[in-house]
Amino acid sequence: MNSSRSNCARWLSGLAVGACILASAFGGRAAQSTQAANSNRPQVTFNRDIAPIIFHACANCHRPREAAPFSLLTFTDVKKHARQIAEVTRTRNMPPWLPAPQELKFADEMRLPDAEIALIQKWVDDGAVEGAASDSPPQPKFVEGWQLGTPDLILTAEKPLVLPPQGTDTYWNFVFPIPIQEMRWVKAVEIRPGDKRYVHHANILIDRGELLRRREAEPGAGFGGMELRIESQVFDPDSHLLFWKPGTVPYVEPDGMALRLDKGTDLVLNTHLQPSGKPEIIQPSIGLYFTSQPATKLPMLLQLENDTKLDIPAGTKGFLVTDEFTLPVDVQLLAIYPHAHYLGKDIQAFAVLPNGTSKTLIHIPQWNLNWQAVYRYAEPVLLPKGTRVTLRYVYDNSDENPLNPNQPPQRVLAGNRSSDEMCHLWLQVLPVNYDPAQRDPRMVLQETLARHNVEKNPNDFEAHYNLAAMLQEKGHLDDAVREYETVLRIHPDDAVVNNAMASALLALGRAEQAVVYLRAALKIRPDYFEAHYNLGNLMASQDDFEGASEQFRAALREQPNDANAEANLGSALAELGKFAEAKSHFERALRIDPHHSLAKENLEELQRAMSQR
Amino acid sequence: MRVRPTIAVSGLFAAMLFACLGQPGLVQAQTAFDLEGKSVDPLAAAGGKIVVLVFLRRDCPVSSRYAPIIQKISSEHEDDVRFWLVFPNKTETSKTIQKYLQDYGYRLLGLRDPEHVLVKLAQAETTPEVAVFDHNRHLVYHGRIDNWYVEFGRPRPAPTTHELSDAIEAALAGKPMTPSAVKGVGCYISDLE
Repeated sequence: MNSSRSNCARWLSGLAVGACILASAFGGRAAQSTQAANSNRPQVTFNRDIAPIIFHACANCHRPREAAPFSLLTFTDVKKHARQIAEVTRTRNMPPWLPAPQELKFADEMRLPDAEIALIQKWVDDGAVEGAASDSPPQPKFVEGWQLGTPDLILTAEKPLVLPPQGTDTYWNFVFPIPIQEMRWVKAVEIRPGDKRYVHHANILIDRGELLRRREAEPGAGFGGMELRIESQVFDPDSHLLFWKPGTVPYVEPDGMALRLDKGTDLVLNTHLQPSGKPEIIQPSIGLYFTSQPATKLPMLLQLENDTKLDIPAGTKGFLVTDEFTLPVDVQLLAIYPHAHYLGKDIQAFAVLPNGTSKTLIHIPQWNLNWQAVYRYAEPVLLPKGTRVTLRYVYDNSDENPLNPNQPPQRVLAGNRSSDEMCHLWLQVLPVNYDPAQRDPRMVLQETLARHNVEKNPNDFEAHYNLAAMLQEKGHLDDAVREYETVLRIHPDDAVVNNAMASALLALGRAEQAVVYLRAALKIRPDYFEAHYNLGNLMASQDDFEGASEQFRAALREQPNDANAEANLGSALAELGKFAEAKSHFERALRIDPHHSLAKENLEELQRAMSQR
Repeated sequence: MRVRPTIAVSGLFAAMLFACLGQPGLVQAQTAFDLEGKSVDPLAAAGGKIVVLVFLRRDCPVSSRYAPIIQKISSEHEDDVRFWLVFPNKTETSKTIQKYLQDYGYRLLGLRDPEHVLVKLAQAETTPEVAVFDHNRHLVYHGRIDNWYVEFGRPRPAPTTHELSDAIEAALAGKPMTPSAVKGVGCYISDLE
């Protein structure tokens, strides 16, 4: 009989994740224009001085079918908007790039050098002259359609969203079931968020348990909501930041960093949309590019947060929230993704290395949710074991913050609505310099993080739960049971925790106690596959094959294509002497998973037994 | 925020103003056009009603996002205020404007103002901006519709001031509007085309 599901479950906040890369289709222009700014040329001209800047920094979005409202591909295009361009570059509203300059460089930085901004101002002041045709740089070239060629699998949202013409920003989630029959490795994901002009950002959540689709009023309809949480049944930490914002080109993961996609996984695209003044049809699609190279490097997303400290009195201007985490293993920091809502003002993260040196990881002096992004470092940043990572966010809940959702200001707490606040920071880290014979460094990170969160929030359900799950995974079952007891004191009516507690007790051989928790889980959630499955196993271990087969049947009603449940049902029926029926279930298990060894062995044994009859 | 004094625009004054601002040697009539290409003076055509000129650019997302708001305010004053949607871009055609009005659900009349006759009359600088003229064709208010946009790219969750509505109320009551001008946030009415 197959062993019980360990349920090293983990909770994670819905996160916006992604490889956001801004295209830099044109190289080698900065030197040219900087030189121009410093020279004594009598007149700044479009062809010689301005076109290289515009083509490099603007045209990727300012072209047909992209996010920007108008094209900037020709002299006529640019002249028509010359004063606007001068102003928005001077105020650094465009190109959109929030981080202040820092020592650790980001890939595809969109920040215009001061000299280029000055040049644009001078060009407009001089009357926006075209200049000699011979100075004109080549027209920029862009790839139309899918940026990496035709994807191996294209998923399109079943039902488009009709974005109303006015009102506040809309946060909508599209669920994409993935029609794959076996596990695939994904080397790149391209998000086409629908009409790019109205989508501010979009990110993919990986829902390995097909849980979020339950929130759809009907299959394919999608559902509203700004922040999502997904409960994960196995230790499978999110590893990739799959993010889109205007200008993003899909990122191809380096060899060995592919993303694992299992059968029965949904991709959930969380989108932030802004009404345009007329109804808009938004129908996103996602392109997946597969590889045969399995992942050999396993990055992980670490979340720093301190939402419980978010209780911001009305009128407070500089409300500070911090969180600190000390790394238990060496990691390379690959990307960073800060997240706050409309009260966020000054967003900072820094690292203090064991040798005392301090590095700014990111600093956004004027946070703007509308331009939130994932920032990937130009080079991986080594953060040795013992490095202290700090987030430091300042919030403005006064009426001087024009983006304050409440006028007059009101007390604001953490929450998932856009009028609530958030204090989150995700780091994509790749553990390095570890001994492969030792425990998975991601689990060490996860456990350390869970301990940190329990310390920070002694009454936090999620923190205790994650710690319990990590202890269980580590084999410290008595400690895990103690943690689960704490978790159940906080939320006695949580089916997942009751089931997890039962699986820890089962592993300790305490079946009598386990059965109480499994029955509790099923009372709370009669359609809970895992609990039926575990109860079936428990009953089988007590030779109650009648009861066990009943539980496996119930489990299969929830997940008809679970090969383990089919195989176990076959085993229970075989024990009951119902050989013919047992055989059909082993066969079905093998149809679902032709490599299912238990089903194969049991079927062979059953056939021997049947032939001996 | 910049505040300008209210100016009186009588027919004569307006004509003089145009003569001053018009390029020397230009014999072409300085006027705005309706979407059939006919010359229109929206102030004269209003028959003594309050007139609101709304300046829009099709390629300016900020102006487009205001469509439902403009339509709503105009509907609230259907009987006593005459709204005109003015497109000042020189390259704009009647056809593209017509399509735009249809797309955005406008039930208001559009005007082309390629010579910036109305732009000058209303002292408009960006889109979207409005100009409110009272019964006597006095410019009561010009500038932003409300304070929805704090600056370029930063809209508030909802506006907290409502200058256009206030200015209409003031004009209907025959009272001055304070302030009489507030700079708009959006896209420049191009002067470099």
